Amino acid sequence: MNIITNDTVQCEKAMAALREVIDPEIGLNVVDLGLIYQLDFDEPNNNIYASMTLTTQFCPMGASIVDGVKQALNTAFPDSEAIVSLTFDPPWRPQRISEQGQKFLNQ
Amino acid sequence: MFTANAHTPAKTTSPSAVTPFYGYAAISFLVAGILLFIYSSSFNGHYFHPKILAITHIMALGWGVMIILGASHQLIPVLIESSLFSVPLARLSLFLAGTGIPLLAYGFFIFSMGWEAQWGGILINSAIIAYLVNLVLSMRKSQSNNIHAIFVLTAAFWLLLTTLIGLALVYNFSYSFLSRDSLHYLPLHANIGIAGWFLLLVVGVATRLIPMFLISKYQRPRLLWSIYLLINAGMAGFVLNFLYLRQSGLYFLPAVMIGLSLILVGYYCYQCYRMRLRKKVDEQIKISLLAVAMMILPVILLIIIIGAMQLSGINNKLALLYGFVIFFGWLTAIILGMTFKTLPFIIWNKMHHSFAANEKTPSPKDLFSARIFTAMGIAYLPGFVLFCAGIALANTALLRSGSAFILLTAILYNWNVMKLIRYKSKKP
Repeated sequence: MNIITNDTVQCEKAMAALREVIDPEIGLNVVDLGLIYQLDFDEPNNNIYASMTLTTQFCPMGASIVDGVKQALNTAFPDSEAIVSLTFDPPWRPQRISEQGQKFLNQ
Repeated sequence: MFTANAHTPAKTTSPSAVTPFYGYAAISFLVAGILLFIYSSSFNGHYFHPKILAITHIMALGWGVMIILGASHQLIPVLIESSLFSVPLARLSLFLAGTGIPLLAYGFFIFSMGWEAQWGGILINSAIIAYLVNLVLSMRKSQSNNIHAIFVLTAAFWLLLTTLIGLALVYNFSYSFLSRDSLHYLPLHANIGIAGWFLLLVVGVATRLIPMFLISKYQRPRLLWSIYLLINAGMAGFVLNFLYLRQSGLYFLPAVMIGLSLILVGYYCYQCYRMRLRKKVDEQIKISLLAVAMMILPVILLIIIIGAMQLSGINNKLALLYGFVIFFGWLTAIILGMTFKTLPFIIWNKMHHSFAANEKTPSPKDLFSARIFTAMGIAYLPGFVLFCAGIALANTALLRSGSAFILLTAILYNWNVMKLIRYKSKKP
């Protein structure tokens, strides 16, 4: 679970917010599931750019999860606008699941 | 990075092209359960019995085919990574099959191959053609034709062949245009439907969904290709022998090929299970894995039937047991499990999409009763075992008690399916 960012402090705050967004099937949040690839903060323009993926390109829950990410970022950073883009390059692999995520799945 | 590879989330198929199929299938299972209970003593007699034919077709078409058509309208985007070509065409399939199945079943029930069965067969075939056109055009749009999609497409062609043969057999009762009577061709019709359609489709879909739900690292497309070739070669060999070679000893060959393919499917699922990241396996997946294990039962029975054929022709009890194990055993078990891994997501997406996924939103598994689901599983197993014992021992009391448990299973299944279909969200 490596997230690329240009601002580690703001990234921590964003990740805390994104841990509230749950994949409804797995029950694990999008951060520990390794769905978030990149979080960039464009302070002059008050934009947050998030790049994320899904476990499968045609995940039936995809639209809902993407909306959840956008809402969580907009709530955590009310003065900024979250712009979420979806990518499948590279595709998601189970190896992206964090240690906490693996502990959750082992329960 | 934010624009070059940007994708939009997949458009899911409209629930109106999916949920009515689930509702129809649930009611069909209930109707078949009621008929099985009322006419359970028919299973003491010959398998070519009007009530047994009616129950079999309600199970095969109303229960098995309808739920698979509905689920595949939802799953096609996941399998082929493209959206469904046409929702109206999916609705047309529902209308045609939904009208044709009761007509055909009624024709069998009163054992009249007149206009009811003939029109029933025509409508069912039209529904399958509409489904096949939708599937082919969806796949043409897709840039990713993976092995799972090939399984589904080939299975749909076998399904069309099955229903076309079925229609020919219905007309053969009235017009005798085939060289032999319709009863002679029954094994051809039944086995193409069972192995060509149901088996190929279930294997194609299960090998995609089981690793997905278990979050398994195991992937082996070459093994899946081997399974695909074994099933299709086995079926082609069976058809060739049935129509042209007519050597009863040669039936072992396709049976062994299909048996081998099932061992490989079991191995594939076991490896997925072993290499899963998600250690806790839910009840729905457990029932589906049980169904995978149950796949071997009909093959063992088939090999025994072929062995017995060498000695004394087709054994009636074994033939009945074979059909029951397939439709009320393997197929029903996989549907009981997979319904509650697919339908809750379809309903959840419809109701909760706008609230987005967060901890306050109920999860898909909260939309149906877990207690009813467990009770359904508990009722199903004795029902299946008792009815099988009833067929084997020709014991009416066992048949009646087994069918009572199966009817209870159908009632509990309908309870949960209707709870899902009628679900109304409460705003969090």
